[in-house]
Amino acid sequence: MSNSNKARTTPLIAFVLVSFAIAGYFTGLQAPMNASTSSSPRSVELREKKSMVTFEVGVIPATPYMEMPDATSARRGQTRLASLKSTIDPLAEITIAPGDKPAALHQRKQNRAFNGAPPTIPHPIDQRSDNACVACHSEGAKTKSLRIPRMSHAFLANCTQCHVETNPRHMTAFEFRENDFAGLKAPTAGPRAFNEAPPQIPHSTWMRSDCMSCHGYAGRQGIRTTHPWRKNCQQCHAPSASMDQTLLAVEPQFLPGPEILSDPEIKE
Amino acid sequence: MNGELEPTAEAIQRRQFIKATAMAAATAVAGGTNFTLPVLADEPAAGVQWEKAPCRFCGTGCHVQVGVQEGKVVAVAGDRNAEVNKGLLCVKGYHVGSALYGKDRLTRPLLRDGDRYREISWEEAIKTIADRIEAAPERFAFYGSGQWTIPEGYAAQKFMKGGLSNNHIDPNARLCMASAVTGFLATYGVDEPAGCYDDLDECDVLIMWGNNPAEMHPVLFSRVIDRRSRGEKVTLIDIGTRRTRTTDACQHYLEMKGHGDLAIANGIAHLLIKNGTYDRRFVESFCNFKASDDENPNLHGKAISFDDYRKSLEPYTPEHVEELSGVPADQIRMLGDLFGNPKLKITSLWCMGMNQHTRGTAVNSLVHGVHLLSGHFGTPGNAPTSLTGQPSACGTVREVGTLAHALPGGRVVANDEHRHQSEEFWNVPTGRINAIPGYHTVKMWESFCTPTDKGGDIGTIWVQVTNPGQTLPNLNKLFNPKGDSKAGLEDKFLIVSDVYPTATTRLADLILPSAMWVEKNGVVGNSERRTQQWFKMVDPPGDARDDCWQTIAVAHELFNRGMAGMKDRDGQFLFDVKDKNARSVPVWDWEHYYDVNVDEQLFEEYRQFSRLKHKDLAPYSEYVKARGLRWPVVEIDGQWQETHFRFSEGFDPYVEPGKEIQFYHSSTHDDRAQIWFHPWIAPAEVPDDDYPFMLCTGRVLEHWHSGSMTRRIPELSRAMPGGYLEIHAADAAAHDLRNGDKVKIESRRGSLVIPVWINGRGQPPRGTVFIPFFDETLLVNDLTLDAVDPFSKQPDYKKSAVRIRKV
Repeated sequence: MSNSNKARTTPLIAFVLVSFAIAGYFTGLQAPMNASTSSSPRSVELREKKSMVTFEVGVIPATPYMEMPDATSARRGQTRLASLKSTIDPLAEITIAPGDKPAALHQRKQNRAFNGAPPTIPHPIDQRSDNACVACHSEGAKTKSLRIPRMSHAFLANCTQCHVETNPRHMTAFEFRENDFAGLKAPTAGPRAFNEAPPQIPHSTWMRSDCMSCHGYAGRQGIRTTHPWRKNCQQCHAPSASMDQTLLAVEPQFLPGPEILSDPEIKE
Repeated sequence: MNGELEPTAEAIQRRQFIKATAMAAATAVAGGTNFTLPVLADEPAAGVQWEKAPCRFCGTGCHVQVGVQEGKVVAVAGDRNAEVNKGLLCVKGYHVGSALYGKDRLTRPLLRDGDRYREISWEEAIKTIADRIEAAPERFAFYGSGQWTIPEGYAAQKFMKGGLSNNHIDPNARLCMASAVTGFLATYGVDEPAGCYDDLDECDVLIMWGNNPAEMHPVLFSRVIDRRSRGEKVTLIDIGTRRTRTTDACQHYLEMKGHGDLAIANGIAHLLIKNGTYDRRFVESFCNFKASDDENPNLHGKAISFDDYRKSLEPYTPEHVEELSGVPADQIRMLGDLFGNPKLKITSLWCMGMNQHTRGTAVNSLVHGVHLLSGHFGTPGNAPTSLTGQPSACGTVREVGTLAHALPGGRVVANDEHRHQSEEFWNVPTGRINAIPGYHTVKMWESFCTPTDKGGDIGTIWVQVTNPGQTLPNLNKLFNPKGDSKAGLEDKFLIVSDVYPTATTRLADLILPSAMWVEKNGVVGNSERRTQQWFKMVDPPGDARDDCWQTIAVAHELFNRGMAGMKDRDGQFLFDVKDKNARSVPVWDWEHYYDVNVDEQLFEEYRQFSRLKHKDLAPYSEYVKARGLRWPVVEIDGQWQETHFRFSEGFDPYVEPGKEIQFYHSSTHDDRAQIWFHPWIAPAEVPDDDYPFMLCTGRVLEHWHSGSMTRRIPELSRAMPGGYLEIHAADAAAHDLRNGDKVKIESRRGSLVIPVWINGRGQPPRGTVFIPFFDETLLVNDLTLDAVDPFSKQPDYKKSAVRIRKV
């Protein structure tokens, strides 16, 4: 009797423990990326105000016991298992409201200098191996509180060659020299031959060869495709050889049409 | 005068020309060089026009496509038709467009008035410079850089040596790759690498000697490690004094003490001979042996026999090399085995580690020697290759020869025949060029910062495209005295042409606003002998003007005042530029500077020098079409053919048939290269009880050199906001230091208060600290040593003894 009881409760206890562990893990994962947790304001207090550059120790500061209740309630919204579940539902119908696209493009602009620039990294990084970035960004994911874009290009080993941190952990700067560079805006839509025609791709596909990186499930609402189950994008959406720099230096040649004699020549 | 072309009309005509040549090339055979590569087609809807240009920053020479909208650069794309970068860039390159638009661009000439500046006209600025030069032409010096375009450097060179008979012209490249030059000269009798970037695609082993290409030449580094991602086997070996991002990607890390490279190279040569694995046939056919001539020190030393060479190397056993370098003997044996294996293709890369070295010439020669001795030379994948840090360190400094002792085309002022040849090309009277070399960089600035009555015979320096107030070593001796009212330097005058306020303009008496990058035409030359061209695409802000125009305008002001040196044999102005109807164009008048392509005319004039030492350049129009061409570029069957591998039959058109390998500029005149022996010698300064740490300086991925451009680019500045000191965790603990704590770091020459970063971007070993030099408010060069290599006169920024204490 007691044995069978134990047999029944052990998996239950194990389940609870594992659940807490998972929840705890993701809580930790989110903390540095989310300003609404209590740890970020705390870290700001650590900085000296006048100094242009200050350092932070490379760990997330612990939450003081006094602030624990607030911190817990602040985190609760994001750390329920339900909110950590992938929100990807392959069967859900995708509808895009008219305002979604400008909002998505505006958000997209926040971490790139111009359309075509490599996006900056919104979270701290510590690249020590080729695989550090790939761990999350090879597949990408989307939960209620986190969006992990998939790499838009084939695997390239030296991620920090092109992508740099927006807020490096070792040093937070408040002042920069001002710059008037006004980057090229992202196109708002691809040209269509006629009203219902599939739009052509309005940007280069060089280094943006994986359409689903931005237009797939983990993409921003507003620039997502309404038909993610269709996998062969370029079947209907034509890229531009010019923008892709795949044009040969040869002007296309055409056969001349039939030469039609003009009226006076006929009369003669 | 040629007033028929509006600038915009010219731009349109240029684009039509490019398109027309593309049409003409349609019938050409692909693969030849008479082949126009397309630029991105314009996007009429977005109003964006695209044109090609090499990147503004480092010496890699990536090509970018520049998107221009309403007269401003708005986007940059990697150029997929560029062989160098194959469509990729690094984060600096992607953001190079922003470098033009920092809010504090200099837009008006500024003249010092006490502690402040007064805006003046260009006319007054040019007159002020002319006054200074006219008063004492021999006390004037021109300090430029490897960022001078080829025409800019050529104009400055001609102005100084062919006009003022003054050889005090030197570039910041003296601080950067002078030892690479002397290493090439001592070994092959002619400068610049035999190999090229193709070696990176072919090699089985890549050895980086004190080099961090993951951050400094990221596009080249990725070219290698991306091969591994594709399943190829490449062994990467990092020989360095601290762990870097390069180390992270290498299979082997050989951590050495400063100057350990001298011992390591000798250790490899020792093993090759002891094991009998050196390439006997290669050495007997193509090499001589040399050692330094201690009685009469000179670049070409004295000849020694193979036996002398072998005996000199005897002490360099792996165990002894371990003692000297700190690298375990087994790792030395590993290198010996790799070089002893003729089946492996081995490429060596180096940059500042071997060049900023008080034995820079020696260590450069030794690494060439290891490749020659083992026969790892002359075939694709087998090459000793030095990298450069500036876009035209090779094209301008090394080829145009903007150095105190040099003339264009690999000629030197001390040689009568060379001088006469230049005088012929320039059509100036015989004897115009001074035979005595001018002051090299360190001596130039030392003289400038020494009071006139104490022998400081440089009175005026004009600085273009560089930032010596941040990058000279030992600033407290070589630059800062200018700002000290008690230093007795009131009569000295500093002129600075730049695009932003810098640590140098801080002490300038006259500041001139310059145009930069695609605000002007340009031609540059990268690390692999590739000459690259671009056209002006946007206007500079305010009154900013081309550096080349500034030089010509001053020259013309002096010409107007009757200075004889500004005239050629026929009494014509030195920079007489003609339009297509052979009428002189007043290019010294800014309104007319772009009436003709001054760059093209200067380049074509300079091109005749390039053939003197088999570094042949193609006509300007060929570079308009291409994404750069590697010299020698020789016309064969109506096609301009570039050269991938020099001195190697089948690749280099100047190698005679049947010779296989021919060092046709051999200093011994027998078509052989020189394998050198140089002993290990301790660094100029080593840690002691008073100054127990070794200080190394260097760069970071996000910032280019002194950061005057990149620190104005928000994406880069945010990623790497300011300077810091790297220290080993154990040393930090011993000094009670935590991340972010401030330390006072002191050398015998200066001090600095700086925050600490433990386990940061790089990780130095115990006893070493590292500070990057990009931060204009944390000037590490207040601490560095100004000791120089005896031949190249290049200082060592990597080894200064310092002490630290927490503040």
